[in-house]
Amino acid sequence: MARFVLRRVVLLFAVLFAVTFLGFAAMNLLGDPLVNVVGVLAELDCEGIEAGTVEDTTVDAASRDCDTVAAAKAQYHLDRPVPIRYVLWLSDMATGDFGTSFQNDQPVSEVIREKLPETLILLTMAQIVSLGVAVPWGVIAAYRANRAFDRGSTVASFGLLSVPNFALGVVLLYLLALRWQIFPSAYESGSFGGLVFSLVLPAVTLGLPLAASYQRLLRTDLITTLQEDFVHMARAKGLPPMRIMFRHALRPSMFSVVTVFGVSTGALIGGSLVVEQIFGIPGIGREIVTAVVRDDFPVVLAIVMLVAVTFVVLNFLVDLLYSWLDPRVRAR
Amino acid sequence: MVEQASAPAPLLSVRDLHVRFPTERGAVNAVNGVSFDLYEGKTLAIVGESGSGKSVTAKTLMNLLPRTAQVSGEVTYDGQDVRALAAAGTKHFFGVQMTMVFQDPMTSLNPVKRVGEQIAETLRYHLGRSRSEALEEAEELLEVVGMPEPARRVSQYPHELSGGLRQRVVIAMALACQPRLLIADEPTTAVDVTVQKHLLDLLDRLRRDRGMSMILITHDLGVAHGRADDVAVMYAGRVVETADARTLFFDMRHPYTEALLRSIPRIDDPVHHRLDPIPGRPPELIDPPEACAFAPRCIYAQGDCLGGVPELSGLVGLHRFACLHPTGTERGMAAMSANRAAGVTAAGLPVADSGGGG
Repeated sequence: MARFVLRRVVLLFAVLFAVTFLGFAAMNLLGDPLVNVVGVLAELDCEGIEAGTVEDTTVDAASRDCDTVAAAKAQYHLDRPVPIRYVLWLSDMATGDFGTSFQNDQPVSEVIREKLPETLILLTMAQIVSLGVAVPWGVIAAYRANRAFDRGSTVASFGLLSVPNFALGVVLLYLLALRWQIFPSAYESGSFGGLVFSLVLPAVTLGLPLAASYQRLLRTDLITTLQEDFVHMARAKGLPPMRIMFRHALRPSMFSVVTVFGVSTGALIGGSLVVEQIFGIPGIGREIVTAVVRDDFPVVLAIVMLVAVTFVVLNFLVDLLYSWLDPRVRAR
Repeated sequence: MVEQASAPAPLLSVRDLHVRFPTERGAVNAVNGVSFDLYEGKTLAIVGESGSGKSVTAKTLMNLLPRTAQVSGEVTYDGQDVRALAAAGTKHFFGVQMTMVFQDPMTSLNPVKRVGEQIAETLRYHLGRSRSEALEEAEELLEVVGMPEPARRVSQYPHELSGGLRQRVVIAMALACQPRLLIADEPTTAVDVTVQKHLLDLLDRLRRDRGMSMILITHDLGVAHGRADDVAVMYAGRVVETADARTLFFDMRHPYTEALLRSIPRIDDPVHHRLDPIPGRPPELIDPPEACAFAPRCIYAQGDCLGGVPELSGLVGLHRFACLHPTGTERGMAAMSANRAAGVTAAGLPVADSGGGG
């Protein structure tokens, strides 16, 4: 067990290293970060001005503009080559300093603390919705495999999987928020209850397509499990069908769902970019869109790292879940 | 029913059972008119090759067939119509009155649940025991089936046990609610030969101790020998011969029974003695010809064997067999010598002049 955890921690750091390095390189090489900090001043040839070889054409006193540029360069280590900058950034990270946003000089840690809860609640609710829908759906479909309900749900799940979530979100918003006015159409942060209630539609938008894929996996695995001898044995013991389903068949049939549960987090975060835009939720998804557009790389990198950590940790939990699902995994 | 008849009514009575499975290639006629009686405290062995319909018969009794199966016929348990009970979803019948032990102990236990819980589950559901009571009883049951260290076993998972021990767990599970009828479907086929005898003796002892009736399904006549009161031999979905065990083993009439017995190795056979296998393969069950299903493999086969399916003669409960040229009778002798003389049976099976192929 200790070795298992250790391996996971090593993996976590390897993933973080790779992700941040790629992110850092992309943000620094594809755009000039200096432009984002000092704007047009980045165009100034301060070295030339200092040496007197270039004519100073700025409106302001040239020396002061160049001071601003120099200060910005120093603050963000922009005067160093990219690999060194990366190492410096990493060491800042290690001390808990996530840097400051280029957009408004707000510390990145504060940005994340502000935006993260909404997104976390949204993603959790989305997973609850998808599992809550998929388990009963998959169970009924498998119980009556190849009957009308099962065939209908095959069509329905392929439908849900092929609808892009902005379309699903807009339809839900129109029907349930505008037309029948069951749910609020906009984000509310007044109280926790209000917040959760206003996140129902976004969570459903994110969760339903996922529920469809979970349902497909669970149905297939359940149909296989239901042909196992131990299910016949349970029937010979005289247990009623639904008890057999939930007490005997469901747990050994959860492997694919649990695997996809771990992997789907990435897709869910991707989906939350769109859904947070549609429903006006000030979460991480919306933040990263603005940050990417504005080349605000401290924010982008912090969020990318956060996603990577979540992903690795969640998949670690999934591995632990396997051994709970099947004791034979523990023996290995 | 005014009063109890002097002869006791059978505990289980099966009449004209038919089971068909529709498939793309046509209906598979897995069971074609099986009838038998089983009396309280007795053991009936159902013997046959794979595909003879013996397991399907057992599964029909336990209502374990897939939904697509088409079943007709009567199954009566203690005066109750079992198929009607099953259709009505009657609680506490299967698992309490009658229950079943399956062939492969490696797969008939739930891999993700502790052994004790799997036994306790039945006690809790059927008899309303509390969790702790049920677990205690599970431990006692494990002791009854001869499980070493039962206290430790209850909290183990099936994969931590050997095949023989797992089958003991399965048996303990089946016995939990004191069933009156136990159906054992090839209970020892998947375990080591050395463990087989232990398990069979255990089943036999438990049956006697608890006054249970048992249906022992096996492909091995040797397993039935000494443990069954009655034997029914099945072939191609039909009972071809049925009698009390003594009669069946020593005075069989059906050539298939005879062939089955000959194919068992004997301890007093010389070393490297060749077994007498039954020639050919079991018949197709899709669209079978109107003839004795065994005729193509039978050294007694005559022209009339190919003209129609022979009826099971005799009264239920007595020695019955479905053969036109039964072994051990004059007709059988005549058929055999005619075939030997011709070198081939009516169905085209070559026959050597002196019995086996050597």
